[in-house]
Amino acid sequence: MIEFVNVVKEYPNGFRAVDNLSLQLPTGEITVLIGPSGCGKTTSMRMINRLIDTTRGEILIDGRSNYDMSVVELRRKIGYAIQQIGLFPHMTIFENVAIVPRLLKWQDSRIRKRVDELLELVGLNPDTYRDSYPRQLSGGQQQRVGVARALGADPPIMLMDEPFGAIDPITREILQDEFLQIQERVGKTIVFVTHDIDEAIKMGDRIAILRDGRLVQFDTPDTILSNPINRFVRDFVGTDRALKRLGLYRVSELMNTNPPRVFMSDNINKALEQIEKQGVLSAFVVDEETGVLKGWVDRENARKNTSLLDAMSESGHGDIAVRENATARDVLSAMVNRGFRVTPVVDSKGRLKGSITLAALQELNDMDNDYAPTLPPALDTEE
Amino acid sequence: MGSGLAAFAFFFLPLIELRPNRLASGIGFSLLELQGDYSYLVLFFLSLIPFAIAYRTDVGGRGWQLAILGNLMLVFSFILPERAGQLILTDAVTYLSDDVIINNPRILPSGGMFFGIFGGYMVLFGGLQDLRRADVARWGRLAIGWIGVLFIVFTFATGGLENYSFMVELRNNGERLQEVTIQHITFVSVSLLIGFFVGIGLGLWAARSERVAPLILYSVGIIQTVPSLALFGLLLAPLAVFGARLFSDIALQFIVFLVITIAYGALFSSIQNRVPSMARTPLVIIGALIAAIPLTLFVAVVVAFLYQIVLLRFTSDRFFDGNTLALLIFFAAFLVTLVRRFLPDEPVRTRILFRLNSGLIVFGVLFVVFLLFESARVYLGGNVNLDTLSLSDLGISGIGVAPALIALTLYSLLPLVRNTYAGLNNVDPAIIDSGRGMGMTPRQIFLKIELPLAFPIVMAGVRNAGVALVGIGTIAQIIGGGGLGVFILRGINDTSIDLILLGLIPAVFLALALDASLRFIEGVLVSPGIRQAEDA
Repeated sequence: MIEFVNVVKEYPNGFRAVDNLSLQLPTGEITVLIGPSGCGKTTSMRMINRLIDTTRGEILIDGRSNYDMSVVELRRKIGYAIQQIGLFPHMTIFENVAIVPRLLKWQDSRIRKRVDELLELVGLNPDTYRDSYPRQLSGGQQQRVGVARALGADPPIMLMDEPFGAIDPITREILQDEFLQIQERVGKTIVFVTHDIDEAIKMGDRIAILRDGRLVQFDTPDTILSNPINRFVRDFVGTDRALKRLGLYRVSELMNTNPPRVFMSDNINKALEQIEKQGVLSAFVVDEETGVLKGWVDRENARKNTSLLDAMSESGHGDIAVRENATARDVLSAMVNRGFRVTPVVDSKGRLKGSITLAALQELNDMDNDYAPTLPPALDTEE
Repeated sequence: MGSGLAAFAFFFLPLIELRPNRLASGIGFSLLELQGDYSYLVLFFLSLIPFAIAYRTDVGGRGWQLAILGNLMLVFSFILPERAGQLILTDAVTYLSDDVIINNPRILPSGGMFFGIFGGYMVLFGGLQDLRRADVARWGRLAIGWIGVLFIVFTFATGGLENYSFMVELRNNGERLQEVTIQHITFVSVSLLIGFFVGIGLGLWAARSERVAPLILYSVGIIQTVPSLALFGLLLAPLAVFGARLFSDIALQFIVFLVITIAYGALFSSIQNRVPSMARTPLVIIGALIAAIPLTLFVAVVVAFLYQIVLLRFTSDRFFDGNTLALLIFFAAFLVTLVRRFLPDEPVRTRILFRLNSGLIVFGVLFVVFLLFESARVYLGGNVNLDTLSLSDLGISGIGVAPALIALTLYSLLPLVRNTYAGLNNVDPAIIDSGRGMGMTPRQIFLKIELPLAFPIVMAGVRNAGVALVGIGTIAQIIGGGGLGVFILRGINDTSIDLILLGLIPAVFLALALDASLRFIEGVLVSPGIRQAEDA
């Protein structure tokens, strides 16, 4: 655990970059420091490994002050990745990743093994990239190396200063996802600085919002979005925070896992029966053997027709369904797009897993929120 | 354009000049006057072909044709007039009037030939540029670019051009030429070596301290603006006085001033926060002036003495025992480097080779130091009594090589200091920050990050300085410093182009060789990770 105890950073000209900051960053979690520029987020992070000296107060790492050991020793125990990546252009990828292990005087064979392991972890083939130079890599690949290098000597703590800031949005998304997967495996205590609220919400287990060197709110992303402590936080997270909050939930957490379902071979009465029983608008038609979603049948059509196949609106699952690992935000977007109030949820093979309704999303937002903006009005096409 | 120039020149300007001896003026012969042998018209037509080629549109083919033509023009411009001259020489008597003394008659390359060579080069360069645009491999361009020059050099070396005037002079002055060339090489390398250490030291200091940076950069800049002749003159009097002093006195002064400098520096750094910022700059200037005294003393003594012992080592009668061994050691180290480059990367072998290589280099350096000590002992002879040893015994005097060396060292400072400063300042702060963040010590950051990254720029400065020194070094003879300037000055006095060429041609080759060897060192030492970036 990293603990800030009344930490102050004051410059000779009297400017207070960090003002009496107290904060506890739990072990094994990603804590995001965020705020407008000049809020002291980078300064706070750099004080942990003493790239910047604290003026007053203490930073404790597992209960010990970070001034208790030599600065070099301290830094070698803390991984460090920055926005500009800072790879050494004159060294190969291997040498770059091996820097901290070499500083710690590891055995050669151990270093080689470790570097290969890390390159694989960040998704770079060691045999292809080991002897390349940074300039031969794309920006995204360089940042992967940057992450591998920060993980070099397996430090328990990592400091990351906008590590994905200089990368194009698509690659950034990919790297963020990959990094979350890596974190699931390695479980480091990570201090993550960013100015991008979407990145903070996505990456953070906890978010600390700073302003003028002071801590404004320190909570989980969900709480920050649903209960911003004051106007500043509310403005900072943006007017679309309801939408952002939807981004925190997976469809699999919200869906109805037992939607009305009929097989292709069933007759129309079975479909009607299902619809009536659950009191819903439509039932989903799936293939009997594979469970793959084939289409849907709604109440009106079921009453008018005598055969299920005539009543069914045929559609590939790609057109009407969302994946079970999509976020609630994706679902909302899909619903608004297609004008549905209910959307089937499928897995990666297209098998029906459940359904999700607009009402469920709305409910989520109403739960504990006084300012909840109303969701876009539902589009009535299925009636 | 090059070909037009050449064709024009071949037609109108005298191609060669026949001279009865070094001093008398001669008679010019133009292409058409070289009667009896129409093969020289080849030159004229050769120079017209590029006009036709220039309209071709495929860049690669045009490039090759132009390059080959350029080479042919070069080679023929060099060789054909000489062969014509040979014919003229045999009946020189018939061409010259009776009242001149015919003593070592010679063929002097004349305007037509120079323009021919120039035109040939322009055509060749045009071709090379086309080839570059056509993405022809580097080695191919190198080969086609140099083949003509190599052929000419080969012809020279085998005595094929012996009727040219400077070859006549070379025959007469061969031994002296060898001597002054060695002298030239020695004082250029010694002053470059000292300049290297002082320049890099100053550059480092400038890069580390924002406050002294402008001061250092301005001072070396001002040195560069002092005309070299004036600098020699300025050094004359102090060095004459200086040379007469006893070594022990100077050593004492050196130590005293060094102690004062260090004390001043310590005092300044301890109180600098309390000093009002307006007073800081003057204080730093005073400090730099105090520091300049021991620095100058040190440079003067080391440069002059080192020159003497290196020259002694070069010209030693036993040249082939110690020197050859040292060369062999470095050659072995070079071979190991090559082997390491071309063998597949395999940890154990790489490590062994690396150790072998560093071992060889360290041993070689130690051996050279030993050789220099040996020479120093020989140079001083029995006179190692500190009470009577004067600085002139160490090679310092008002005229002679000492002022030349010191001037050259000072001149080498600007490119070295500027490039070291620029190189270190150019290192991306983010790279240094991540090095610091990973727990590298300041020393590791300097040695493993800043130095390798600044190295290409520093080396460019070394090359600049070296090439410039070879040129400036020819002035050294004015104050009796020797070197290739010996022939050039004598040539100016005698209005003899032959002698000037005799001094000039080796100087040009020396500069090219120095540049090429420094480039080679750079190529071996610069990491492939940043080499390409430098080219672009």
